[in-house]
Amino acid sequence: MIGSIGTIAVLVSFLASLGALVLYFTSTVRDNDPSIEKIANFLFGIQGAMMFLASGLLVYLLLTNQFQYFYVYNYTSSDLSNVYLWAAFYSGQEGSFMLWILCGFMVGFSLLKWTSDEYRAPVMFFMTLTQVFLISMVIGVTVFGIHIGASPFRLTAQEFAHLPVFMNNPGYIPPEGSGLNDLLRSPWIIIHPPVIFIGFAMMAVPFAFALASLWKRKYHEWIHPALPWTLGANLCLLVAIFLGGYWAYETLSFGGYWAWDPVENASLVPWILGTAGIHTMLIQKRSQIAHKASIIFAILAYVTIVYQTFLTRSGILGDASVHSFVDLGLYNQLLLFIIAVALCGIILYAVRMKELPTPKDPSPLFSREFFMFSGAMTLLIVSLVIILGTSAPIIGRLFVPNPTPPLPEFYNMWTLPFGIAIAILTVATQYMWWNKYRDTETFAGALLTPTVSASVISVAAIFVANISNFVYMIYLFAAIFSIVGNGTVMLRLVKKSPKLIGGTVTHLGFAVLLIGFLGAAYDKPLLDRSTISYNAAVERGEIIDDDGFPVIQKMDVMLLNMHQPKRVGDKYEVLFTEASISHDNRPGEQQYRIEFTNLRNGRTFAVHPIVYPMIANSTGENISWTVDPEVNMGWLRDVYVYVSGSSLVERESNRIRDTHTTFQAVADMLTNGYEESLNPSINDRVRLAPGNSRQIGQFNISFERFVNVTEDELPENAIVGVKARIAVENLQNQHTETHDVLYAMVFDEGQSYVYNPVLELDAFGFDVRFETINTTTDEVHLQLIGIQENIEDEWIIIAIEEKPLVSVVWLGTFILMIGFSISIYRRWDDQRSRDRKYSAKNNNGKMKKETDGNKEEKPKFEVETTTI
Amino acid sequence: MKPRVIVGTVAIVAFTSLLMWNFGNSIGSFVGFEEAEQSGARVHVVGTWVETMPHGFDRERMVFTFHMKDEAGEVRRVSFNRPKPNNFEDAESLVVIGTMRNGVMYSDDMLVKCPSKYNDASNLELSSNM
Repeated sequence: MIGSIGTIAVLVSFLASLGALVLYFTSTVRDNDPSIEKIANFLFGIQGAMMFLASGLLVYLLLTNQFQYFYVYNYTSSDLSNVYLWAAFYSGQEGSFMLWILCGFMVGFSLLKWTSDEYRAPVMFFMTLTQVFLISMVIGVTVFGIHIGASPFRLTAQEFAHLPVFMNNPGYIPPEGSGLNDLLRSPWIIIHPPVIFIGFAMMAVPFAFALASLWKRKYHEWIHPALPWTLGANLCLLVAIFLGGYWAYETLSFGGYWAWDPVENASLVPWILGTAGIHTMLIQKRSQIAHKASIIFAILAYVTIVYQTFLTRSGILGDASVHSFVDLGLYNQLLLFIIAVALCGIILYAVRMKELPTPKDPSPLFSREFFMFSGAMTLLIVSLVIILGTSAPIIGRLFVPNPTPPLPEFYNMWTLPFGIAIAILTVATQYMWWNKYRDTETFAGALLTPTVSASVISVAAIFVANISNFVYMIYLFAAIFSIVGNGTVMLRLVKKSPKLIGGTVTHLGFAVLLIGFLGAAYDKPLLDRSTISYNAAVERGEIIDDDGFPVIQKMDVMLLNMHQPKRVGDKYEVLFTEASISHDNRPGEQQYRIEFTNLRNGRTFAVHPIVYPMIANSTGENISWTVDPEVNMGWLRDVYVYVSGSSLVERESNRIRDTHTTFQAVADMLTNGYEESLNPSINDRVRLAPGNSRQIGQFNISFERFVNVTEDELPENAIVGVKARIAVENLQNQHTETHDVLYAMVFDEGQSYVYNPVLELDAFGFDVRFETINTTTDEVHLQLIGIQENIEDEWIIIAIEEKPLVSVVWLGTFILMIGFSISIYRRWDDQRSRDRKYSAKNNNGKMKKETDGNKEEKPKFEVETTTI
Repeated sequence: MKPRVIVGTVAIVAFTSLLMWNFGNSIGSFVGFEEAEQSGARVHVVGTWVETMPHGFDRERMVFTFHMKDEAGEVRRVSFNRPKPNNFEDAESLVVIGTMRNGVMYSDDMLVKCPSKYNDASNLELSSNM
């Protein structure tokens, strides 16, 4: 019932958007017919209202756990809190399209109010066009045998019609849903996707304005309203990229904040092109040139959003991305969407190309316009490189069948030099933007101070950080130069008018970001000495596996026993002190405590990485354990830690194994009776590496070193033998004894066996047997026969990585956000006052019918320069 | 022709060729185990985890070993030099990246296809059996 209303609402919304599209077109062709526009606006409103209704119904179905609906079944379960039930609304493709449509509607609605009369109809035409395509993705109707869209209201019974349970009983309602993926059960999902879709929707505004300007032959005025929207879209995409990066880094254990994954690139490329567009719009605003570039960038920014949506949602990336969607059968529709928006741009541009204003002379090489334009072009090249890389599954077919995505090095190598260029261009442009220089000589003179100070700082930084890569040195210099240069301009501007500092703050943030990125080149795992020497032996080909082949894989993780400190990276001593289970966030969540001591300055800190079972994907036989890393943040370096296996995990898995149940029962098992797993199993064996010791109750057992055995100490027919020198101390009376225990291989009568006699320790009341040696780690296994103490066997497998300058990346991002916000405030303010002047003129009846846009622009341009 | 145009054209052509050449070198090809064995190069292999065959983490060498069936149906042992990745059990498909030696795939990178986006009928199948 509710589903039918929802389906009808989506359908009505679609038809209303089609109607609005036709009417906006008619109004544009008739040079703004207010009566037609009124109906069009009404239909646009209906479209939004119906989509709100449909979304509201879907959210209601989600909140009330109506698992007969496939979307509800597929993304939720009854144990989810309301916040995550709400987030499930946009966890799937269909819902995320609806969220995008809602954002698009709200943006379009505000444009109705804030767009001047001459642009309104064509701008709304293009805004509606994007809505039509987006809504078509979720209508889910079949017309003439062609299936259009995937409805969020389809029934579980339809989707799984082939399953016996539905064949026997079509009215069957699943008692439980399949649950939201645990990786998505994070507070970040509340904020991250909506911000992206607001950004996507806002980026449609410059696209619509640029096309409207072509259509109406008003090539200049559109940038005034479009500029704040573009800045806003860029701010949203930036925030979304930051949130995504932080989420991936902090909780998803992707290993870093950026991996050049297609989905990440999908929001980065429009951001870069939007940034380029902002710059050409500024040139156009100030110097009446670059009309073509502004239009092209405005179109490209949106087209790339649709293109990347196509890549990530059509299933074409398939195996290329960690988080691309599975095809919902929308391939053709998405393809149509991208072709439609691209064609609108190409055709309109081609038709008007001849009459677009062209600067009479090419701008001289030494001018702010030239520098700024070069910057925008550099950004264009960077985005083309990233598009190329992301399109590898398509374009790569030129080179190989079944192409894989390019290595990350491809992106790093091809973006780094342009990063350097942009960093330097920002300084040159900022200096020229705010000052007039008579010739190159005075300009060079002005840049002397920042160049010299940046050089001094760079050299110092290179020495301190011990940077040996030449390219990195140049890169570092460019970034520091950009900080010094933009910082100088910013300080000057703050004194004059703080409102104007948006640009310099943004550039400063970008430069700080560049420095932060450099840190990623120096990420390294922190390992203990035995792991390092193992890796060295692997490199020399000395380690042989069971099949007799040399081992080629090094270790990136290591074993840590409880209460046995290890020294890692010659810098920290790490100590695993606690393993606990809490059910606060989800059933069976485990938390570990690992204490770090900095050996250089004695500072200590503790991290608490988490391991949890992904209930929705677990069965009794196979619990899907997931790691959630913890980061100890520092200004210069982060210490990134995760536990990827432990004795506690094994005990819990063993306890729950063989319960052939659904995941609800597994959850039940996890919350009941887990206490027994918290007691480490009791046995009488210890493992010790040379030089290590272990306290067991009142005894301290240490393994000092291996001792060579002379032949007469060995039994007859022994092939090989070794002794371990162990020291045992009774901590209550300080009584200490040192002994050598023997381990030998004997070959007798065609059979080999181990000879390891028990050593009696009368003074301590237990015996020792040298059980075996681990040849890869040199650990000895000792059996302590008859010891009355509990030997706790508690260990974790831990990965520790040092990641320099990650905090600097976040800092740079925040500065960028602040810069964008200041610019939005300023441009919005400008635009409002421009509108006020415009309407004041209108009211006085002085407004003449404009015949030539350029005549009107001259005085406006002068107004602009005075505000600068 | 103006010198600006000539310089620009040459720069664009040179840049594009260099970019495409490098691009061609930095992409590989998805292959099956047989081809991976023959080439001996670093490759991407797509496949699915064979649950019924032995798998587990070796604490001595810190490698996660499991068996994977590629798209041609060939099954090989995979040795992954990290612990089992998140989402491994319910991955729709796996992409292991590494080199083949002596019939074993030595991998240091693995993509696990995001499981949230596919139709999970396991619960329904279970309930229909009850």
